[in-house]
Amino acid sequence: MLLTPDLVPTIVATGASARVNEHVAPRFRVGDRVRVRNHNPTTHTRLPGYLRGKIGIIEQDYGVFAFPDTHAHGLGEKPQHCYSVRFTAREVWGSLASDRDTLRVDVFDDYMDLD
Amino acid sequence: MHGIHDLGGMHGLGPINPEKDEPVFHEDWEKRAFALFAGTFVFGGYTVDEFRHEIEKMDPAHYLEATYYEHWLAAFEGLLINHGHITRKELDDRIAQLKKESH
Repeated sequence: MLLTPDLVPTIVATGASARVNEHVAPRFRVGDRVRVRNHNPTTHTRLPGYLRGKIGIIEQDYGVFAFPDTHAHGLGEKPQHCYSVRFTAREVWGSLASDRDTLRVDVFDDYMDLD
Repeated sequence: MHGIHDLGGMHGLGPINPEKDEPVFHEDWEKRAFALFAGTFVFGGYTVDEFRHEIEKMDPAHYLEATYYEHWLAAFEGLLINHGHITRKELDDRIAQLKKESH
C-alpha cells in the first residue's frame, strides 16, 4: 500500500492509534489494588522497568488497545484494557521520596495481578 | 526490553528544560523524517510498536547522543531492512554516494 495525499490529514491528525473497537472484559475495576508483575522480557514492552513488583491502585480504565508486547513482533493485537494506575512516590522510589507525591502510569492488563 | 530508552528513575541526567517557544522542527531534514513516518508506515506494513522497538535496539551510546528525529531515522532504516524493502548494502552505498556528492 502506498501513501496517497488523501490519507495524509487523517494519519497526521490521529497518528497510528492503537485503540481497538472490540469488546474485551477488563480484569480490573477502578479502585482495585494491583501488583505489577516482574515482567522483564528482552522483547518490546511498554512497562517501565521501575514499576516491576510495585503496588498501585487502578484509577481509570481507558478502554481496549492492541497489546504492544505482541503487536511489536507480529504476534497479533491481543486486545486488552489499559488503565491509569496510581502509585505513591514512596512505593516506587523508596523512603527518600516525598510522602505527598504520587505518579500515574498507563499499564496494560497483562502486566498486573490483583494484590 | 530493559534498554537505554527506559530512563525512568535514572540519576545524573540533569534537569528537563523544555525550550521556550520550541519550534516544531529544528532542522529542515526533520520535516522529511516526519513525512517518512507516514510514508513508510503505510508502505512498510509495520506497527507503531515495532517502530518503537526498533528505536530501543539502537546502540545505547548512540541512542543517548542522538536527537528525537535521529531515533526515527534509525527506526526507518532498520524496519525497511528487516522487511526486505532495502538491503544494508543499498543503504550504505547511498550514504557513501551522498557523502561524495556533498564534498
